[in-house]
Amino acid sequence: MVESSSDEILADADKVDVAFLVVGDPFGATTHTDLLLRARSLSIPHATVPNASILTSIGCTGLQLYNFGQTVSMVFFTDSWRPSSFYDRLLENCSLGLHTLILLDIKVREPSLENLARGRMVYEPPRFMSVAQCAQQMLEVEEERGEGVCGRERLAVGVARVGSEGQKIVAGTLKQLAEADLGPPLHSLVLLGKRTHDLEREFLADFAVEREGFEGIWRKDYEGR
Amino acid sequence: MVNFTVEEIRALMDKAANIRNMSVIAHVDHGKSTLTDSLVQRAGIISAAKAGDARFTDTRPDEQERGVTIKSTAISLYGKLTDEEDLKDVPVKVDKNDFLINLIDSPGHVDFSSEVTAALRVTDGALVVVDTIEGVCVQTETVLRQALGERIKPVLIINKVDRALLELQLSKEDLYQNFCRAIESVNVVIATYFDKALGDVQVYPDKGTIAFGSGLHGWAFTVRQFANRYAKKFGVDKNKMMERLWGDNYFNPKTKKWTKNADAGERAFNQFILDPIFKIFASVMNFKKDDTTKILEKLEIKLTNEEKELEGKQLLKVVMRKFLPAADALLEMMILHLPSPIQAQKYRMETLYEGPPDDENAIAIRDCDPKGPLMLYVSKMVPTSDKGRFYAFGRVFAGTVRSGLKVRIQGPNYTPGKKEDLFVKAVQRTILMMGRYVEPIEDVPAGNILGLVGVDQFLLKSGTLTTNETAHNLKVMKFSVSPVVQRSVEVKNANDLPKLVEGLKRLSKSDPCVLTFINESGEHIVAGAGELHLEICLKDLEEDHAGVPLRVSDPVVQYRESVSAKSSITALSKSPNKHNRLYVIAEPLSEEVSKEIEAGKIGPRDDFKARARVLADEHGWDVTDARKIWAFGPDTTGANLVVDQTKAVQYLNEIKDSVVSGFQWATKEGPVAEEPMRSIRFNIMDVTLHADAIHRGGGQIIPTARRVLYAATLLADPCLLEPVYLVEIQVPEQAMGGIYGVLTRRRGHVFEEAQRPGTPLFNIKAYLPVNESFGFTADLRSNTAGQAFPQSVFDHWQQLSGGSPLDKTSKPGQIVEEMRKRKGIKPEVPGVENYYDKL
Repeated sequence: MVESSSDEILADADKVDVAFLVVGDPFGATTHTDLLLRARSLSIPHATVPNASILTSIGCTGLQLYNFGQTVSMVFFTDSWRPSSFYDRLLENCSLGLHTLILLDIKVREPSLENLARGRMVYEPPRFMSVAQCAQQMLEVEEERGEGVCGRERLAVGVARVGSEGQKIVAGTLKQLAEADLGPPLHSLVLLGKRTHDLEREFLADFAVEREGFEGIWRKDYEGR
Repeated sequence: MVNFTVEEIRALMDKAANIRNMSVIAHVDHGKSTLTDSLVQRAGIISAAKAGDARFTDTRPDEQERGVTIKSTAISLYGKLTDEEDLKDVPVKVDKNDFLINLIDSPGHVDFSSEVTAALRVTDGALVVVDTIEGVCVQTETVLRQALGERIKPVLIINKVDRALLELQLSKEDLYQNFCRAIESVNVVIATYFDKALGDVQVYPDKGTIAFGSGLHGWAFTVRQFANRYAKKFGVDKNKMMERLWGDNYFNPKTKKWTKNADAGERAFNQFILDPIFKIFASVMNFKKDDTTKILEKLEIKLTNEEKELEGKQLLKVVMRKFLPAADALLEMMILHLPSPIQAQKYRMETLYEGPPDDENAIAIRDCDPKGPLMLYVSKMVPTSDKGRFYAFGRVFAGTVRSGLKVRIQGPNYTPGKKEDLFVKAVQRTILMMGRYVEPIEDVPAGNILGLVGVDQFLLKSGTLTTNETAHNLKVMKFSVSPVVQRSVEVKNANDLPKLVEGLKRLSKSDPCVLTFINESGEHIVAGAGELHLEICLKDLEEDHAGVPLRVSDPVVQYRESVSAKSSITALSKSPNKHNRLYVIAEPLSEEVSKEIEAGKIGPRDDFKARARVLADEHGWDVTDARKIWAFGPDTTGANLVVDQTKAVQYLNEIKDSVVSGFQWATKEGPVAEEPMRSIRFNIMDVTLHADAIHRGGGQIIPTARRVLYAATLLADPCLLEPVYLVEIQVPEQAMGGIYGVLTRRRGHVFEEAQRPGTPLFNIKAYLPVNESFGFTADLRSNTAGQAFPQSVFDHWQQLSGGSPLDKTSKPGQIVEEMRKRKGIKPEVPGVENYYDKL
């Protein structure tokens, strides 16, 4: 909608005020930059009101925002389309010991690829990726690439509906998260880097799927490395 | 009486060496069905008196009425050699003089050549029928080429010899020369399509691979048969005799010496073979009863009293049939010279199987192993008496199929390991196809042709049946004709619409080549190979499949969209989120490459290195480019290519699938008139991608790829291609003037004109745009007093001249506008600015 009918949105913007609402922070996702660029080229005066976004509110996990590296997105894999470029980002973050925030794919009002290729605009029911599916896909890619970035024993934190009353945080190994159910959308996932702080452990241990194991792995693989 | 039982046939099925699967192929009206009759008669299914008129394999009423075969029809027959001695000459070891002949009679009219393709796939040998007088015609060549492409061994029969004798009154030497010419033309075609794996399959009378005869009168002979008779008399070896009875061998009766010199006496073929036949003809047709009786005695032909009463042609028929029964000659030729499934599947395997040539399934096919995994190819659907249901007609290449067996039904789009186009269902019943009847049969082992009940709902037109999960598909058939003529249909009575929809489904199943679909404006379209094909299909639809009154539009021709130059600038399109950019240039693909792609010689499934070699060596491509062909389209096999020419673009392979989907979509419906594209090469010059996978998914890339391809096409001087028929017309000299008039009026032009030696007939070859061909046959007949007989085959695509299709005032422009109106899209062609994004 934003992408294909930006002209419509901006149609009378030079005469009337147009407000455009976004989930999360306006420039959190790259998509909306284009709308602003268009407004600018049409000399339409504009103002942006920032909002709370997962990019900052992920702080609720107790992980220090200073220690996050590049953010990546995880898409729904299909039989033939399994982009693994996120793995390279993870690898880079990992080598610096930084956490990685993984944003999970949402498909709202999108035609299936098959219909798209035939030019039929039949929309699929909305889909939201869950933490479990994301963890599963990461494990699959790890199996293909085998560089130890997101193996079964790597620690991660899954969050759901951050900022709402039903907010849920679960910490555990990727294998545990691949089986975890965090309930309704929206979900996000953080892959832990090795540059950790004791406070982070203390905070997360309460959310662990299995406390003993969590602390064991933490001491073995993370603490002080 | 039928002289065999299903049990006997079933027993023979186990002896693959004793099986011959063969199709009868020829030009239209050269006498395939009539000849087939003589074999059917030998099996006792029809009486001798009716053979030649019954055309047993023409099962449909309209086939009988029009005297033209429309559908290919299979029949299983039991045959044996007349002389036990001949068993030694069978190239494979057989222990019994019993043979199972699975015979398929195919249509000769070009419009139905898809039926021929379906028949050839399941057979190993072909009986090529050529008319003595007309010689090798355009369709003879086409079917022969198809047969050789499928690695099918041909034998030849020169038919209608009676006409040469009775109507043309040829002399012996003229007739011999006539035979020679026909044989030579057949061998030229065979030599052109020489295939190493199949070996030399040219036909020679002295090898016994050619018969001469008359299907209508029910007689035929091979040189071998006569050699047999004379070998005893002369006391020489039969094989030596065969050589002497053909070619430049002469016998001097006075000196009793064989020479190579024409002065010494008459040509042996004329003297020993044609002479008795000529004598019979002369005496019977001139009503010389005494002479006739004398000859009959000499040839040891006994007539019943009733038959002695006959006169003229009737008597001739009876005498010749007793003297040289057609079935004997044909059976001998088929049994001795056509391969059994065991031999044939050895060299056919690699052209049949898509998977690796050394897996379990391939080996079972190669060995024709009845104990291996089941590999069965369904080549067509045959309507049953039960409306809307079909027998799946096919051949077991390996394993054994039986009633109740659970099989994997793999459609043409199935890929191993996936679940698309795959059903696992039980075969309800296996049956034997017997022309007009079917016979139930318990099970059928490898090497046999059969019908299946209960799998028709799971297959569209053709497919592979197997029991092995690892089995790849058997190769999809490549048709020599394409559905270029279409008509839209609608019901007269709106309530009948569901019946029409159901009927269209059935129609599409019952014919290997017909295409049915709904176009943009919601019309139901039926597309066929030619006017006649479409007419038959629509008739079937109205009377049979749908059973409701229909209104049918005028025929419409399918065009193709192409480009005539390279894109003037690099086309650029941005994805909806503006973060991804594709840069593409379109350029024409050479006609040779397009033709090779359409002929299946260059295809998406080839090894990319081998394909690159061919493109580089034969078509002057750059090898690195040729290795980077991403896809063929439309439908993944069409004659358009997308080539990756980018340098060092990261994650390019992640968007490859999306670009290919967009390419398939775009090539199916071009930017000018939403007709399929043809003969365009798209070069992807550069790509800019968003860093994050989520922003370069299919939703972003597919529509962008389509837009950029449209932009590139519109920037490259788009043009329209129209289909052109090759028309072959046979006409007597005096009626030739009329032909030129008709052709000129219809934008056709003659490019070859030749007299058939020894006849007053002329053979004219011309190109005629399909668009101008509607009513051509009728027009031609009325202008030549009914003496011209045209045969049209789709030949090539030709650029529509007269200006750009984007210019409304030009002829192509008008055609485009009309097409767009018909399709219910806005009449103006959208400009390039709709697809091209500025940087």
